[in-house]
Amino acid sequence: MSLQGILLIDFLGLLFCVLILNLVRTHKLQGVYGVIWLGATFSFMLLISIPWLLALVTRLVGATYPASAMSLLAFAFLFAMFIFFSVQLSALSTRQAQIAQAIAVANLLVEDDKGLRE
Amino acid sequence: MTSRTIILIPAYNEGQSITQVIERLRQVVPHYDRVIINDGSSDHTAQVVRTLGERLLHLPCNLGYGLALQTGMKYALLRGYETIVTLDADGQHQPEDVPLLVQALEAKRADMVIGSRYCGGRPYIGPFSRTAGQRLFSHLTRLLIGRRIYDTSSGFKAMRASVCRTIVDRTFMDLHTETIVRLSLLGFVIEEVPVTVQERQHGQSMHSWVSIFRYPLMTLMLTLVAAMDVWLRKRE
Repeated sequence: MSLQGILLIDFLGLLFCVLILNLVRTHKLQGVYGVIWLGATFSFMLLISIPWLLALVTRLVGATYPASAMSLLAFAFLFAMFIFFSVQLSALSTRQAQIAQAIAVANLLVEDDKGLRE
Repeated sequence: MTSRTIILIPAYNEGQSITQVIERLRQVVPHYDRVIINDGSSDHTAQVVRTLGERLLHLPCNLGYGLALQTGMKYALLRGYETIVTLDADGQHQPEDVPLLVQALEAKRADMVIGSRYCGGRPYIGPFSRTAGQRLFSHLTRLLIGRRIYDTSSGFKAMRASVCRTIVDRTFMDLHTETIVRLSLLGFVIEEVPVTVQERQHGQSMHSWVSIFRYPLMTLMLTLVAAMDVWLRKRE
């Protein structure tokens, strides 16, 4: 990749990092997700900035061109993130259901006890 | 608490039919306790139930059939009921059949009795999409537990508290094929008793056109997961 391309991608990567840090700062993104996205961004910036590392990774994943290797890695990362978010969503839905159930049961138990007292 | 048996009635937008169901239950099985689980209805279901003076488990949002029933089970277990009956709120199940199911628990020494539309050689009736699914899951039970359950999607069941304790912490369930397979593989005895089912008089079925695709796929997956889970637990 040309020096111009590397500088552009690194600049965009740094902007992305600032955005993520600001999201964590303003409590719009949890720390654990911030670390994942920062880690992925730094990894991609590192790969693109060090030509021999990119060539090594391209050989390791069996790709012909570095761009193909980058696409493969990006796709694998996004796929893993989708599964991770699905798990997180499922956990949230379960918690929401448990809270709703607990409220419903607690309310009826209180009503039962009131009825017994009256 | 006056009874050791409780009838759980999950209701979602059943404001038009719930009154009739409750009144018939009051006439036919007045000695059984009842609780209606309002599954985040957007109509006047909760108001109708309160006006009738019935016990209401009011879920603040719609959780779906399985989780609504699970809420009722949690309440029943906390209150120490020994027998739990589940009945749909749309008026399709006949309250006259409730004692039949409860008696069958004792007579057949079963842990769960399903009020079945199809056992005893009765044909599958309804649109192809529905009957095909019912046949598929019925044969799937034979494949997985070695015995065919004819009506796997019946919402009319009687079960012992021990059954509820086993399934009450399961997050993903509809109390259909996946639960039947899990319970059977765990050694619980499940029997079917023929019951009469009427067409719903009011409202719409919970099964939309989307669920024609989603329900069978989800049930198939959950059934395989249940079988796998029990198999792995037994190996541990």
